[in-house]
Amino acid sequence: MISRREMIFRAGRGFSGMALAAMMQGAQPVGRAKNVIYIFNHGGVSHVDTFDPKPTLKRLSGETVPASFAEGLKTSRIDFRKAIMRGSPWEFSRYGSGGLEMSSLFPHTSKHADKLAVVRSCHGDAFDHAPAIFLRCTGTQFPGRPSIGSWMAYGLGSENRNLPSFVVMSDGAMKSGAGAYGSGFLPATYQGTVFRTGKSPVLNLANPNGVPAQAQRETLDYINDLNRRHYASREDDTTLDARIKSYELAYRMQAEAPGAVDIESESEATRKLYGVGEPMTDDFGRKCLLARRLVERGVRFVQLFFGTNLGDDWDDAHNDLWGSHIKMTKKSDQPIAALLTDLHARGLLDSTLVVWNSEFGRTPLAEGKNGRDHHPYGFSMWMAGAGIQGGRALGATDEFGLRATEHPKTVHDVNATIQRLMGVDHTKLTWRYQSRDMRLTDVHGENEFTDWLLKA
Amino acid sequence: MLSVIPLLIAIAAWGQDLPSRAVQVLAERCLTCHSEKARMGGVQLTSTPAVSAVRERLLAAIRHDGKIKMPPTEKLTGAELAVLREWLSKGSPWPAQTAAPTAAPEHWAFRKPVRPQASGNAIDSLIQAKLREKGLTPAPEADRRTLIRRATFDLHGLAPSYGEIQDFVKDSRPDAYERLIDRLLDSPRYGEKWGKHWLDLVRYGDTSGFEQDPYLLYAWRYRDYVIQSFNADKPYDRFVREQIAGDELYPEEVEAQQGTGYYTVGTNRDMLFKVEDTNREETLTDFVDTTSGVFLGLTMGCARCHDHKFDPLPQRDYYRLQAIFAPFQKTRVFLHYNNARVYDLGENTRTFRLYETGAQLMALLGPHRDRLREERLAKLPKEVGEAFHTADEKRTPEQKALFEEYAKRVEPGDDQVYAQLSDEENRKLRSIERRLVGMYKTFAPGPFSPGLTDVGREAPRTHMPAKGGNDGEEVRPGFPAVLGGGDIPEPQRDSPTTLRRKALAEWIASPENPLTARVMVNRIWQYHFGRGLVATPSDFGTRAGAPSHPELLDWLAAEFVARKWSMKEMHRIIMQSATYRQSARSTPKANESDPENALLSHFTRRRLEAEEIRDAVLQASGALSLKMYGRAVVPPLAQEELYGMSQPIGNAWVVTQDAKEHTRRSVYMISRRNFRMPLLEVFDRPEGVLSCSRRDSSTTAPQSLSLLNGQFTMQQAQALAARLENAPDAIVAAWRAVFGRDPEAFEVDRTKQFLDKQTASLGSRKAALIELARGLFNVNEFLYLE
Repeated sequence: MISRREMIFRAGRGFSGMALAAMMQGAQPVGRAKNVIYIFNHGGVSHVDTFDPKPTLKRLSGETVPASFAEGLKTSRIDFRKAIMRGSPWEFSRYGSGGLEMSSLFPHTSKHADKLAVVRSCHGDAFDHAPAIFLRCTGTQFPGRPSIGSWMAYGLGSENRNLPSFVVMSDGAMKSGAGAYGSGFLPATYQGTVFRTGKSPVLNLANPNGVPAQAQRETLDYINDLNRRHYASREDDTTLDARIKSYELAYRMQAEAPGAVDIESESEATRKLYGVGEPMTDDFGRKCLLARRLVERGVRFVQLFFGTNLGDDWDDAHNDLWGSHIKMTKKSDQPIAALLTDLHARGLLDSTLVVWNSEFGRTPLAEGKNGRDHHPYGFSMWMAGAGIQGGRALGATDEFGLRATEHPKTVHDVNATIQRLMGVDHTKLTWRYQSRDMRLTDVHGENEFTDWLLKA
Repeated sequence: MLSVIPLLIAIAAWGQDLPSRAVQVLAERCLTCHSEKARMGGVQLTSTPAVSAVRERLLAAIRHDGKIKMPPTEKLTGAELAVLREWLSKGSPWPAQTAAPTAAPEHWAFRKPVRPQASGNAIDSLIQAKLREKGLTPAPEADRRTLIRRATFDLHGLAPSYGEIQDFVKDSRPDAYERLIDRLLDSPRYGEKWGKHWLDLVRYGDTSGFEQDPYLLYAWRYRDYVIQSFNADKPYDRFVREQIAGDELYPEEVEAQQGTGYYTVGTNRDMLFKVEDTNREETLTDFVDTTSGVFLGLTMGCARCHDHKFDPLPQRDYYRLQAIFAPFQKTRVFLHYNNARVYDLGENTRTFRLYETGAQLMALLGPHRDRLREERLAKLPKEVGEAFHTADEKRTPEQKALFEEYAKRVEPGDDQVYAQLSDEENRKLRSIERRLVGMYKTFAPGPFSPGLTDVGREAPRTHMPAKGGNDGEEVRPGFPAVLGGGDIPEPQRDSPTTLRRKALAEWIASPENPLTARVMVNRIWQYHFGRGLVATPSDFGTRAGAPSHPELLDWLAAEFVARKWSMKEMHRIIMQSATYRQSARSTPKANESDPENALLSHFTRRRLEAEEIRDAVLQASGALSLKMYGRAVVPPLAQEELYGMSQPIGNAWVVTQDAKEHTRRSVYMISRRNFRMPLLEVFDRPEGVLSCSRRDSSTTAPQSLSLLNGQFTMQQAQALAARLENAPDAIVAAWRAVFGRDPEAFEVDRTKQFLDKQTASLGSRKAALIELARGLFNVNEFLYLE
């Protein structure tokens, strides 16, 4: 018999464990995604300036919206009854053979329009950053619940026993803190491991200063010898054995992780494609390239948080829609397009789901002279890869871009879809906590849209 | 199918008695939730018409054919099912003599504990009886060295020193072990360890969470209150009363009111905009969920949106509990009334003076700053100057871009501004500085503790949620029906508060409450043995499953009450048992038939908890400070560890000035809601967002990386190595410091060989000793308790 603790330990190290067995029962695995690269735009991207064209809004710029449309809407700074409409300063065009409409902010990504399935009808009810980030990433507005990456790591394990199954890259300062990629009530093993873009991607990966490799190996062998002797009279306890092995795993991670993040080993052409070395695109380009390298090595779920509380952020759109959105797309458009090109060229796109999302959109109404406020009631995201039929958009907001009206999709619908694309039935992947079999999608997710995404 | 024929015979034999039998099944299996009072799912099964009205649904539900399966936890037996089916087919006649039956609660946890017949310490006889049933035998008593290490970690969260171990091993008095337990319980280290268990339960933190993660400036006073309460062996019923309603029950006792800090040390999002109603609602949810889980072992949270699916807790009960907290108002407890007032007065004056200080600084520095900026702008293209001279809201997008691009280059730094000051101006600046410094010379926290009280005698109304966004039916404050129910009356006219929490506190902290004592003794048991008699310590509902040893749980609960709710007495009872003193060696048979060791055929080995690991490393290195109480300490961390903070590090990780503070026990380190100290986080310290009743004990590679390569390990390895260098025999000294024993021959040989090799490869014996220390901190004998 294997104890629960050991099962968890094994699951964390690459065996899929009981979770997989449980949720595959009676499930109808649909998707073929083995990995996910989830790009989370921290701060809130304006939907009416990117993927949701609103000619009416532009025509009526300067007027207030009809009272019935404003009713029930609230956000942190503006009053929906008094603020004036503002059309997008960017032009929209149709791209690709599918004629997907996008604004001129994405000169690179628009070349992949036929790969993108846009959802224009996302909606939620949290209009402050931290609750909205928690909502998107964990399914509730409050901290303490497992994040989507943790659920997938728990459910599917890793394909590479020397690397974690859920890797996070952020700019450091998330408005939610680490709870957005925490494991909540799931075992800590499933928490997102933060990778940095430097030489030592994982915390404490490098030997302490002044300890060369040979001395480190010697110390590890010494620890191992003492542990083996201690274990010899306690062989019934598998956790002791597991800990002995964890030092070997740590050692292998020390060996493998720096290689996984060694971007210099990529060809000049590849690095150039991602914009590595160019001032605007270097940082996010490195992260996207790293994401591809990790997926290639079997990391199950890579989440890239783009933007930060302390530096550049989509949220600068409060005062400066124009400047913020130009800056953020200049930094991310080329790297994201490169990621799609590169995954496709390497035959990885078919088994990799790429998600582009944000905690909310921004008000179609003006904040001050130059800004837009937070807006969770209707906004856009896109998905690509994993067999998704792109070049199309699902759902719609009303003519002003205020509310999701056609095929409205909650975070649970989105998460159920991501899970199904990975072959997991969202109603079956559960963990018992406080008497309930908890799910990422709580009791919802009934409007998941996998079939639409995959339909030719 | 096989069993149909005997059942038919059985039914035929009942004859006349069918109605009585059927109603008995209802009473035993259904009426806890479907009585007239509880009416869960709108269904009551208390009369012929009531049953007839739901006949088809009832049949489907008990057959488990449809979507609704009843009873939800355990299907009716074949015989019970047969009786009900037969009875329903006959029109469900009610037995003549019985009126509507009322159910004694079906679930064991909702009935009062019955003290089993037992003389003396019942633990061993009850544990051993179960072992005999399964053909298992208890393990022999552990040796003395093992016992003192186990007892010291369990009660103090620290290792015994080499000297303490020697003393105990050599103590030949018959009551040596009892004396050991007494000594450990008398030490203030006890409250630090057991207080931390409680702080896990009440989701304690020093900040509020969410984006700003602001400080709960006085939360530590509640932490100290908890530690003091454990050290003073405050009776648990009193401890409960103080936390739930210290303000209402003990209006004259400041210390007791500090207990109400319990409500305030969780996450809260009061700082978020325009969602005050949601914030208050969420805070109430936190109060109901945490209070019911921690004190009663009830998962009330499940009944927030609908009737509880498994336990007899209708949604109404949830809102009756919520109504108890509805009038809450967070407040400050004045630890000393006059000093608190004086402190506030001082703050008031200081703030007013600061406005003027700010104005003086602006007047002094502003002109120089402006002049420097203009000089720089003059050397730049004209458009840049124009962008800077245009007010922010009037700038064109191009001007904005220019402004952003040049802001850093053009805006003079503080040092550059200071360099412009004349002697006279410098004198003025220094005089301002002196005044400022003077105002903060003795700056310290005020005499406040976080607390809670009611807004007044009138409470806002509490409604059930209803579909369509409107308020539902209004509910009165009261207790769950299954536990006897009861409304809380209106307070007297002159009452300053609603006295609702007082009623709750008295109801919980009563020997009559079937849950309170059981839940707490089960927690104590769990913290000693790694697993509770009920394996889900904050869920005593029907899904929790039966306790592994029901009589033992009841005996402990009865003892707890009989011994005036003394926690230290419970430690004595438990730790003096032979069960607790068993060795951790298990048999193949036990591993096979009881892999979780629920029956306790041996002691369950455990990894040290996160705080124990940090504290034990500090202890071994000699750096541990045993200073107690006070403001949360912020220890220095490596730059790479500080990654991921949601606020600027200068605001969010303000390292404590006095370095001696940095090596205090982990319970005094700051616990930020948005950021856990990486070493503690990796070893499963809970997030501190929700109540944590049982920690994980994971085994992961990042743990090894962190204990092997982390800055903390290296610093402590250096500290230990410095001690070893001066010791007559470094290897013996190392073993005594880390393991509390002398090394064996094999260990000496292997270590000599290791030191020689490392000395050669690192170039100094000192460096080799550091490696030795670093290695020993990573050894299982150090990290595990058995």
